[in-house]
Amino acid sequence: MVQDSLLSDELLQHLMAVGQVDVLVGVPTLNNATTVGGVVRAAHQAFGRYFPRDRTVLINSDGGSEDGTPAVVRDCAVDDQDTFTVSHTLRTVHRITTPYHGVAGKGNALRQILAAADLTQARAVVVLDADVSSVTPEWVAALIRPLREQQFDYVTPIYPRHPLDGPLVTQMIRPLIDAVYGWRIREPLAGEFGCSQRFVTHCLEQDVWLGPLARYGIDLWVTGTAFAGGFRCCQTPLGPRRSAGHTGLSFQELFQQVVGAAFECLEEHAAFWVPRAAAEPLPMVGELPAAGEDAPAVDAGRLTQAFCTDIEQLQPVLRSILSADTLDSLNALAHQDCERLRYPDDLWVSTVYEFLVAHHRGVMRRDHITQALIPLYLGRTGSFLTQWADRSPAEVDAALESLGLQFERSKPWLVERWGEGQR
Amino acid sequence: MAQMIANAVREAGTNFVESLVAFLPNAITTLSIIVVGWLIAMLLRAVVRFALRSLRFNALAERQGLAALLKVADLPEADALLATIVFWLVWLGFFFSGIDVLGFTSLQGLVAGFAAFVPRLLVALVILVVGFIAANFAWRATLLASVNAHIPSPRLLSGAVRWLILILAGAMALEQIAVARTIVLTAFAIAFGALMLGIAIAFGIGGGGIARRILEHQFPEREGSGADEISHL
Repeated sequence: MVQDSLLSDELLQHLMAVGQVDVLVGVPTLNNATTVGGVVRAAHQAFGRYFPRDRTVLINSDGGSEDGTPAVVRDCAVDDQDTFTVSHTLRTVHRITTPYHGVAGKGNALRQILAAADLTQARAVVVLDADVSSVTPEWVAALIRPLREQQFDYVTPIYPRHPLDGPLVTQMIRPLIDAVYGWRIREPLAGEFGCSQRFVTHCLEQDVWLGPLARYGIDLWVTGTAFAGGFRCCQTPLGPRRSAGHTGLSFQELFQQVVGAAFECLEEHAAFWVPRAAAEPLPMVGELPAAGEDAPAVDAGRLTQAFCTDIEQLQPVLRSILSADTLDSLNALAHQDCERLRYPDDLWVSTVYEFLVAHHRGVMRRDHITQALIPLYLGRTGSFLTQWADRSPAEVDAALESLGLQFERSKPWLVERWGEGQR
Repeated sequence: MAQMIANAVREAGTNFVESLVAFLPNAITTLSIIVVGWLIAMLLRAVVRFALRSLRFNALAERQGLAALLKVADLPEADALLATIVFWLVWLGFFFSGIDVLGFTSLQGLVAGFAAFVPRLLVALVILVVGFIAANFAWRATLLASVNAHIPSPRLLSGAVRWLILILAGAMALEQIAVARTIVLTAFAIAFGALMLGIAIAFGIGGGGIARRILEHQFPEREGSGADEISHL
């Protein structure tokens, strides 16, 4: 019972009162009072509508909210009329809210939820992001069904959204993760997921919970661990995801956390992805949702302008990270008309892979490496948005697919350089 | 008379031979110490270099930017440089010990002086290395932070931070080995005073317009990238 020490005496008493469960929904929180009520209601409605005969529990692990989040979770009424008219659970509704101790961050909250799932021998576990205001009972059901009906171990969501939305995901994290891990996943950074008891046990055995990944990169780590551990993974469509955006982070901090976590995950799972040859689509349970219609309104010209100015300033740092060819190409780009900047796919792929290799070799402090990538990412994003803003979602999707394939084609180069770093 | 001269010459010759006989063992000992010291110093240089290579010290120096500086200064690689410093310290130690054996009054105390100087020299070297690493770190951190925050003239700002730390470390190192304390202190006072006076004159007496134009040129307004206005995830 390794997890005993992770769970307070009070939580243990609650869990013993609950006993074994079939479905456990975990909600990590930190100052989410405005949105967490909707998430809790959606989970309980899902218990009533879709799992009325199952033993269920909702566990909220809170990181010390100062806005009354635990009270909202405790007092949240599930008197949704729809629930009672359609069906309601035949078993006691269990809801536990508990603080987690130790290092602040979602990782610690998730660890506590997984430890509780392990103790209660939950057959299916769903983790929901408390910051999302559009969670519905169908999300919970969609994340659980592939686990129970098709024996998948890890279920990751797909949200319908415009392909120009979320450029950090579409331009960098998704194609990088897809190409390197060899599984084409739509939302590698999703805050929601479903998983089996087997996967829960595996995660708890990993040595990640006290490190930096647990503080700021646990969502990506969970995905990478599912791939690297050889678990049966799939993706399933959910509805549109509307986040309240309560991270409180500036763009620079967000970028550093996300990209730093991606690079750290690739470092940790290198033994899995280095020998893996080709990428294949992750199995889909359900229909791929249509792309959202609303393209984000962005002043792409300012992004490309920032690229042209900043790349000149960062020359001494970039020289330590990039090859001479790549840096020359970037300098040539920066000297063209910045309003009409075209940052080609192959150059962007070389840039990202060379930054990853520099991170692996530790040519300088790792946070400095991710910071130096920011202006280049802005240039690439501005260039892509300028080029594709007026096109249809299908055309943009095709362009993103082409970028993904470019990442996959260049993977042998990455593997070769990665090996050189080991010698 | 001739007899007296012959006696004096014989006596001088005898004295010279006696002195030579008395001096020779010391000279041979000195020579032995210097030669053995040289051999030991050579051996230590090889050992230090091998150990540093095993520890990939050059890669560390490259990461900290030390390798680039050594290259610019036309100095050997970091591991070779450190091994050479060890060689000279050890060999000079033996050399001064050997000289001390000769018993020359004017050279006495050399060993004691050298022994007192070596720790100060080592501390000064450590200060220089730490100062260099700190300066490089602060330079890069300032450059990256100011570029991403769109602060005007990031390279000028980060370069100023780097040189400030390097000068401070250099002054501390010189202070440690007690070289030209007065000159260092005076140079600092003059340089700092001149800088402050220059700024005061530029902003104060009549040169406000020129100072403004120079500053506007050096620190142009930089528009933000608008990155915070996008939902990146």
